[in-house]
Amino acid sequence: MAGPPRGPVAPGRFSVRRRWTLALLTALLAVGVLFSPLLGTVAIAPETVLRILLHQLSSGRLFSDPCAGAPVPPSGCPGLIEIVWDARLSEVVLAVTVGAGLGLSGGTLQGVFRNPLADPFLLGLSSGGTLGTAVVVVFRVGVGEQNLLLPLFAFVGAIATGLVILVAARSRFGSVETLLLTGVALSSFLSAVLALLLVFSPTGSLQVDFWLLGNLGALDWSEDGIVFGVVLVAGTLLVAYGRELSLLQLGSDVAQSLGVDARKVRVRLLLLTSVTTAAAVAFTGVIGFVGLVSPHVVRRIAGNDYRVVLPGAALVGAGFLLAARDLALVAFPGTLLPIGIFTSFVGAPFFAYLLFRRRRASTMGAP
Amino acid sequence: MHLNGPPGSSPSPRRTVPLAWFVVGLVVVAGVAVVGVAGYYDYRGSSPAGPVTVTDDLGRHVSVPSDPNRVVVLGPSIMDAMYRLGLRSHVVGVDCYAASLGGLSDDYSSDQVALWNLTPSMCVEVEPSFDTEGLLAIGPQLILAATIVSTATIEQFSDTYHIPVVILQPASLGGVLVDIQLLGEIFHVGPAASTIEDELDAELASAAALQANLTGNGTPFPTVLVTYSADANGYWTYGPGTFGQSLIELASGASISANSTVSWPELSGEQVLASNPEYIVYGMGFGLNESSYTDGPFWSQFTATQDGHAVGLDSNYFTEPDPSMILEGLPALIAVLHPGSA
Repeated sequence: MAGPPRGPVAPGRFSVRRRWTLALLTALLAVGVLFSPLLGTVAIAPETVLRILLHQLSSGRLFSDPCAGAPVPPSGCPGLIEIVWDARLSEVVLAVTVGAGLGLSGGTLQGVFRNPLADPFLLGLSSGGTLGTAVVVVFRVGVGEQNLLLPLFAFVGAIATGLVILVAARSRFGSVETLLLTGVALSSFLSAVLALLLVFSPTGSLQVDFWLLGNLGALDWSEDGIVFGVVLVAGTLLVAYGRELSLLQLGSDVAQSLGVDARKVRVRLLLLTSVTTAAAVAFTGVIGFVGLVSPHVVRRIAGNDYRVVLPGAALVGAGFLLAARDLALVAFPGTLLPIGIFTSFVGAPFFAYLLFRRRRASTMGAP
Repeated sequence: MHLNGPPGSSPSPRRTVPLAWFVVGLVVVAGVAVVGVAGYYDYRGSSPAGPVTVTDDLGRHVSVPSDPNRVVVLGPSIMDAMYRLGLRSHVVGVDCYAASLGGLSDDYSSDQVALWNLTPSMCVEVEPSFDTEGLLAIGPQLILAATIVSTATIEQFSDTYHIPVVILQPASLGGVLVDIQLLGEIFHVGPAASTIEDELDAELASAAALQANLTGNGTPFPTVLVTYSADANGYWTYGPGTFGQSLIELASGASISANSTVSWPELSGEQVLASNPEYIVYGMGFGLNESSYTDGPFWSQFTATQDGHAVGLDSNYFTEPDPSMILEGLPALIAVLHPGSA
């Protein structure tokens, strides 16, 4: 595939091509957002969905009876409105938000560690979150308030894992092996602790499985708002570091000579990434490979300038997760499968491709 | 990745993001989270009040509408209780696995589907994902849920759509009676609930009398392996804290897995052979029959199998904490372990 150089590129002029890339990705995502509410487990005619959306968006001024002439379920038109507006649309918004957060986190981590295989999933942040949920379930923490405590503990678990990796990696920043091995080791350790907990609580296993496979449904707008707020603010800060991240690709010494405090920037980026990832996975569970795949897609199109890679990865991540949701609904009509399964279906082969491609490049003498 | 490729153009020096901006950003993030959580609690506070407030098995206080007639039941054990209370007509939806992966038949045995007249249109997918849309389409007034569905998820659904959820998951066999009382209160069927309670009490008293009799005579309880699955490694069974274990104890049996350190242990063939139980009871239903167990290690060498003391019983008797466990499962197990007691 012909395209711009994929080596580290110091941030220069923000080219027209890069602007168009972001514009194109935004447009594609917008189309996806408009299309996705048409799909769900309950069959609703597209025109009815559109009427309900317009009815809700206009606060009832348009289409006073949005279900007129449409077959309605036992719950009637109010039920249809809840399905489209509260369940389906909030799920679409959540997919976009979480996908953007994971894509952004993956892009940042790959830049920070100058490693194309880094992503929140591989670094154990998701495992930390899973363990957090298991603690709530197995030890029956706050029975009756678990819908709040589960995401809270997941958030804390992911953040704590991020801090451990940060501390472990600080001594040898830039060492790919140290980071990946720390992440893999930590992830394995957390998984072992999780397995031990679940051996003694089989019913807890059932509840944690639900979270482990990743799910977008059963949330409401207020929770969407929490995730959206955190990802928006932390994500904006991350994107603001795009230039510094590009300079870091030239090496710490070069970046330092150009006024970038490499160590400080990396620590901040890791913290922000942990916050973004934790917020993303806290409510939805483990959704793998979005963070890994998305930055690579952007690089293939627009090169290595992180001012483009980061927002681009957010857009691609959002679109990827939305597409996975839609694909799952189309492939198995009337059935809802965990979203994490479908992201892994796409992500795992891509991961293998990356490993193969990197190995081949290495064999051919490329750095 | 070509990490050391040529730079595209000369970068211009620029300071990194000031620390103050960074701190402000994090404060804003925290603020958003706090506001969100506060809003979340406000939202929770607006759940609809009903004329009856009950306390479910998790200690949650739930306001339910008076005599709801559109009820979704998420758990076969609850469906059993509803049926026995004459409330089948109130049930408009039940739990099931994904329609394309088994649907009703994954959660309910064929006998239960037929007896309770369950149809695919009643199916509410709770595994592997929770189908919010499907549940909303049914439009229940009340949801009765066991812990086969994520408690956090069902609570979230309840808060979001203002549909009350009562969780019925007794911690012990005695809790089955409590749940019957609770359902009697919710649906105003006190007399029917009392009748079932009397039947349950009678069955439990009969089992206790048998136990007292055996203990008084100094007769040891027969040793038993109750297994619900077998593979090349051994036999999966019930350990301490499970309803299966409780039922064995009530039936005056001595489970060979009673001292296990985990609740659902798998005993190796050697362990079973060493314990040499007098009886083996294997779970039936959901596609399981005797041939499902005969490939387990040493199956034909156990004294119980050689003596014809390996008997199949409905798996539900040991796993579902419901009236059938006591009214049907308990006497069935007693009949196996104490053939002359009837």
